[in-house]
Amino acid sequence: MSLLEIKNLSVEFGSEKNPFRAVEGLDLTVNQGEIVGIVGESGSGKSVTMMAMMGLLEGQGRIVADTLQFDGKNLLTISARERRKIVGKDIAMIFQDPMTSLNPSYTVGYQIMEVLKLHQGLRGAALKQRALELMEMVEIPAAATRLAAYPHQLSGGMSQRVVIAMAIACNPKLLIADEPTTALDVTIQAQIMDLLVNLQKSQNMALIMITHDLAVVAEVAHRVAVMYAGQVAELAEVPGIFRHPSHPYTEALLSSIPEHSKGAHRLSTLPGIVPGQYDRPTGCLLSPRCPYVKDDCKTRRPGLTAVEGGVVRCHYPISAREA
Amino acid sequence: MTNAKTTTAASAVEDQALTYPSPFKEFWQGFAHNKGAVAGLLFMTIVTLCAILAPLVAPHNPIEQFREHLLQPPVWLDGGSASFLLGTDELGRDILSRLIYGARLSLFIGLCSVVMALLPGVILGLLAAFFPKSLGSVIMRLMDIMMALPSLLLAVAIMAILGPGLLNAMIAIATVSLPAYVRLTRASAMTELNRDYVTASRVAGAGLWRQMFITVLPNCMAPLIVHATMSFSSAILEIAALGFLGLGVQPPTPEWGTMLASARDYIERAWWVVSLPGLTILLSVLAINLMGDGLRDALDPKLKRAA
Amino acid sequence: MLSFIFRRLGLLVPTFFGITLLTFGLIRMIPGDPVEVMVGERSLDPQMHAEAMHRLGLDKPLYAQYLDYIGNLAHGNLGESLVTKTSVWTEFKTLFPATLELALAAMLFAAVFGLLAGVVAAIKRGSIFDHGVMGISLTGFSMPIFWWGLILIMFFSVKLGWTPVSGRLDLAFDIAPRTGFMLVDTWLAEAADPSANAGAFKDAVMHLILPAIVLGTIPLAVIARMTRSSMLEVLREDYVRTARAKGLSPARVIFIHTLRNALIPVLTVIGLQVGTLMGGAVLTETIFSWPGIGKWLIDAIGRRDYPVVQNGILIVATLVIVTNFIVDILYGVANPRIRHAK
Repeated sequence: MSLLEIKNLSVEFGSEKNPFRAVEGLDLTVNQGEIVGIVGESGSGKSVTMMAMMGLLEGQGRIVADTLQFDGKNLLTISARERRKIVGKDIAMIFQDPMTSLNPSYTVGYQIMEVLKLHQGLRGAALKQRALELMEMVEIPAAATRLAAYPHQLSGGMSQRVVIAMAIACNPKLLIADEPTTALDVTIQAQIMDLLVNLQKSQNMALIMITHDLAVVAEVAHRVAVMYAGQVAELAEVPGIFRHPSHPYTEALLSSIPEHSKGAHRLSTLPGIVPGQYDRPTGCLLSPRCPYVKDDCKTRRPGLTAVEGGVVRCHYPISAREA
Repeated sequence: MTNAKTTTAASAVEDQALTYPSPFKEFWQGFAHNKGAVAGLLFMTIVTLCAILAPLVAPHNPIEQFREHLLQPPVWLDGGSASFLLGTDELGRDILSRLIYGARLSLFIGLCSVVMALLPGVILGLLAAFFPKSLGSVIMRLMDIMMALPSLLLAVAIMAILGPGLLNAMIAIATVSLPAYVRLTRASAMTELNRDYVTASRVAGAGLWRQMFITVLPNCMAPLIVHATMSFSSAILEIAALGFLGLGVQPPTPEWGTMLASARDYIERAWWVVSLPGLTILLSVLAINLMGDGLRDALDPKLKRAA
Repeated sequence: MLSFIFRRLGLLVPTFFGITLLTFGLIRMIPGDPVEVMVGERSLDPQMHAEAMHRLGLDKPLYAQYLDYIGNLAHGNLGESLVTKTSVWTEFKTLFPATLELALAAMLFAAVFGLLAGVVAAIKRGSIFDHGVMGISLTGFSMPIFWWGLILIMFFSVKLGWTPVSGRLDLAFDIAPRTGFMLVDTWLAEAADPSANAGAFKDAVMHLILPAIVLGTIPLAVIARMTRSSMLEVLREDYVRTARAKGLSPARVIFIHTLRNALIPVLTVIGLQVGTLMGGAVLTETIFSWPGIGKWLIDAIGRRDYPVVQNGILIVATLVIVTNFIVDILYGVANPRIRHAK
């Protein structure tokens, strides 16, 4: 059985009359110890999916799904109290901007120990010991003195390490990293990625890596889901998806990575922008931007069809055409 | 192939442009979304019309004393009459007419004192933001000194020096509200000064005055407009307070606060003399503040997104 | 932290001297004869006029007059009232406890209800309670408080007879002013002589209620609105999301992670309001005939008692800037980012 199973998840915002679908019919499974990458432009519904799953939308979004199951527990019917026993303990999340993700009024140590007190009931010396251990696990130098530091006294990279320490404090089964390196300096990004992957291996966690950068997940993920306008465009195994993308959007993303377009003078781009609330096409959501668009793409919405190594939401998958 | 791509892109951009509302329409939608603001606007429109058309609207001369109708209650009470809808005061003057003429004074003094504080306030605030070291610190110390006095006390002190009267009341109220404009302008200008577009205009060779009034000031307008609305309402309150203390507009000129100055003596006998002028002040100030809230919703992009 | 305090202290000194310039200039801006203004005596013969000018130092150049003024202040000489012939400082000392008592009671009322209403409104955003709090607080914010006082007196004192109309204590009681705070004095008096002073404390409380409500109305509205918007702002912060992602209970998210940060600006506002209220609630004290600083200054202006006006304003302004200074320091204590700034 998979650790996380999501079937046909939709999340709507706004009024009932005039809803905005941030996520539409999303399917995703994550197995124990697996790294899954979720890739897409900003606003494609990557973060919202994960926030919905963790119950962090706070009544703002309406969540509908056939299945939303974590570790055998149904997250749709679970009480808020029960959910809070899982969130922060078995599922933990790392956010994009470490500088604003820590409460400025409390010391780093207080914020780490808060999780340990709540979920593991640690007190006194054992609590302090564990907090120190975590700080060392995320490779923070001079851990003992840093425990008493306030967030504004730490650099961005150091803050993100603290956030990671907080997330892995209770040995979660699933760690969600929401663009964990976007807000950091380039030199720090690689360090944080290495740290995350090492921790994933040593703790045997499942890791969902949300990013808008395919290159980030190319090296580490086992499977990749490409999202576009709230839908999964393609979900396939690595490295297959990088060699033979099935969806035109995946192809476009790949060709915008410098390493993948050797020889070309200019990186290729996809014209246009992601459709918003008012300009959703009736047919395939990519149809206004798709270089291979055919007439029926503009009228018929594609469903997910199986291709080698995964699924794709396209009437004319590239891999099928070439075969 | 390439051609096809460009055309799709271009049409997509055009479609986008068509769906964006014009700035004014967007502003009005934001404002109209706030029902209280619309109600406030409606009320103030009526008050303003009454003020402008006072000689036509008011049933009586506001200072004419009807000696045989002293302290006559409003029309819906026993002893009331239709010729004095809201009753009469201790000298037999028609309260409704006095309220209508009073609106003229309150709105006029309020408006003048806002303008008298806004213009120097904005200029001093911009100067303080552009020269934070030298001129700025002198200006801000000066404002600190003015802020160190409770505003009504300062207004009263100014009135004590200048003597009572209409123009003096305006000067006193404008002086009291000056520091807030200076601080607000300075604070928002300082934030804008850190933005790249200001650096860009500087690099492009914009002179000091252009930077101050063309580049930076328009981007500070939203909070200033909201504050001007709010300070218009507090100006009305302050005029009334000065009138109440006997330092503002002098009787028999009908002024809302002055009407209340003598009302204390009639608490036990004639509630309408006490209640109605104050209620008018409260409703007007409330209406303006509701409009201010609506303006804030419509103008402040940060709050706009949250709503 | 120490350097932070010293920097603020450095700002205080020029502000203080600025205020002395203001109060010094105030008297000289009044149209009319300076001797008349300073001494309150009218139509003196020329020789006595010249003597008075000399005695008051008014024949010296302006800067020398200012230095004299500062010199007098440095010696603690704040002049004396033209009307009562007692020193301004003594009058201030006797009246100040009344103002402080009223201001504290008003702030207590405003802070307790304002914070409570603001927090609940923010948590239940969009609910009927939220709309109610916002509506009432906007009304309170728009209130002409001199009228509000009259209305409350009309209803509670005249119609229902629940509370007294004015003053601090019924004339039937003879309480020795020990601390100047009527609640404390009546409490002590009742404890010392229960038979003679029975009911004095309750009477003092009843006298205090209406003025405190009237004076607290606008601060209440400001605090409620401020708390609500500050709470809503902090609730959107990333670190609140982090706190929820940790699986913390809603109560802990609200009280430990949100309120603490949301309170910092609210407490600053409360502190600044205290400063303002201590300077005398001119209108409230006038309506309720409350013998405090505000009424004292208004009466002095009315009587053209210029030494009292001049140095009373100086004392009030000093009080306000010192309170604001203390608030500033406390703000630094509450906010680690400022505390650690170099």
